[in-house]
Amino acid sequence: MNCDDLAKALSEETPLPLEAQEHVKSCKRCQELVEALNLPVAVESLPPATLQQIAGGIATNLHPVSPVAPAGYFFGAFAGIFVSIVALYVYRMGALAIAVMTPLQTVAILTALAVSTGLLAYSLVHQMIPGSHYRISPRLLPVGIAVSLTILIAVLFQFQHEQNFWGHAWPCIRVGTPIGVLAAVPFWMILRRGAILSPSMTGATTGLLAGLVGTSVLEIHCPNLDAWHILISHLGVAMLCALAGLIIGLALEVKGYAFNSLNSNHKGDLA
Amino acid sequence: MFHPAVTPRVAAANDPQMECGVQDNVAPRQSFADLDRWMERYQQADPDAPAALVGAISPALLRFFRSQVASREQADDLLQETWLRIHRVRHTYRPGEPVLPWIYAIARRVRVDGYRRTRRITLHEIAMELLPERPAPARDRNLGPAFDTLVAALPEAQREVVTMLKVAGLTLEEVARATSSTVGAVKQKAHRAYERLRELLQSAEGAKGAAQ
Repeated sequence: MNCDDLAKALSEETPLPLEAQEHVKSCKRCQELVEALNLPVAVESLPPATLQQIAGGIATNLHPVSPVAPAGYFFGAFAGIFVSIVALYVYRMGALAIAVMTPLQTVAILTALAVSTGLLAYSLVHQMIPGSHYRISPRLLPVGIAVSLTILIAVLFQFQHEQNFWGHAWPCIRVGTPIGVLAAVPFWMILRRGAILSPSMTGATTGLLAGLVGTSVLEIHCPNLDAWHILISHLGVAMLCALAGLIIGLALEVKGYAFNSLNSNHKGDLA
Repeated sequence: MFHPAVTPRVAAANDPQMECGVQDNVAPRQSFADLDRWMERYQQADPDAPAALVGAISPALLRFFRSQVASREQADDLLQETWLRIHRVRHTYRPGEPVLPWIYAIARRVRVDGYRRTRRITLHEIAMELLPERPAPARDRNLGPAFDTLVAALPEAQREVVTMLKVAGLTLEEVARATSSTVGAVKQKAHRAYERLRELLQSAEGAKGAAQ
């Protein structure tokens, strides 16, 4: 047991193991640290008048509220919207890419898109509720998904040198981006039912999820199998939407846009 | 005074001096036992619920804000703002879920917004005069720096975690929920904070030795 092990042991909830206690007794540095963690904090009393004022303000306009719906309900809503929009556009535009992709490519890319959608929807459902339990960090998830999809596309498809690359890429971006923007609207309507604590984080996650709607439509429709084309003009749609969501969220945070202003139906309760 | 089990909660339980008020920096866990029931009653508009919740949680929230911001006035403002927001989003509490992470997640957001607001105001205003610095609480020289002073030297993310763990008395899981992160990330931040605190203490000790 050394000083570093002790710092690790202190980070655990369990009482210090015997060997850690022995180390503390013999190490002055660690002894000081343990003592410092037990130092008192200045305790200031709250005047009863202040407490009464706060409680009174709340009690004045108190009315019953229904607890927010279970997580599964919102998850289903996110997934349902995603699938509906993809199905609608694929029906209108056709599934030309399915005919030219190998079964492995089809299964791998569609599975990856489905898993990414599920993880992002799961994260959003938890971001709507303060104090939710996360298994995957909501800050890292969008980055992780973007990187994973990039690697998967690079592995599954071949890099070719297309003539007139932007001439082929631009139409896909022009079709996919509005689909992403369209999907963001119902997603935002669902998010309004919760409390958004971090607009930038939720904006990036929502943007990526909405953008993946456009990416999925393009992946099923566009028969161009060049890896550069898929990365730039298909996955690029999702990245663009995520970036837009992040920027909007950051702008809201800088402007001091409080999460509670999303819940206009509860506004003025303490007025 | 030395306690191998380091949480102030445990230290207070072991030390009679602490029990009588020197180390009552952690909200006693028992007082939070019925919070979930009170939250449900609050959602059902029970008129007794606001007073019960405000009375039980506000002291801990004030301590949390005081450990994070400089002045008492700011901490009071943040406390009121927190209750305003809790009231507006009370429908987002799911019965059966732990209450404290839900409340601290909101309080944490209020603190961040408050910090941004203060910074904006400070940037746009011309300081007319320098305010006197807050006097440090009178302490016995032998005791060394106060917990607040030590923790204030930590980076914001680490300070927040240490404050929640040691001052608010939350568990690792609760801190992870309140900060929208994972238990592993909280442990890592706490570990780094303790390493940093040890360095600070060592340099303070060195400076004291050199002065003597």
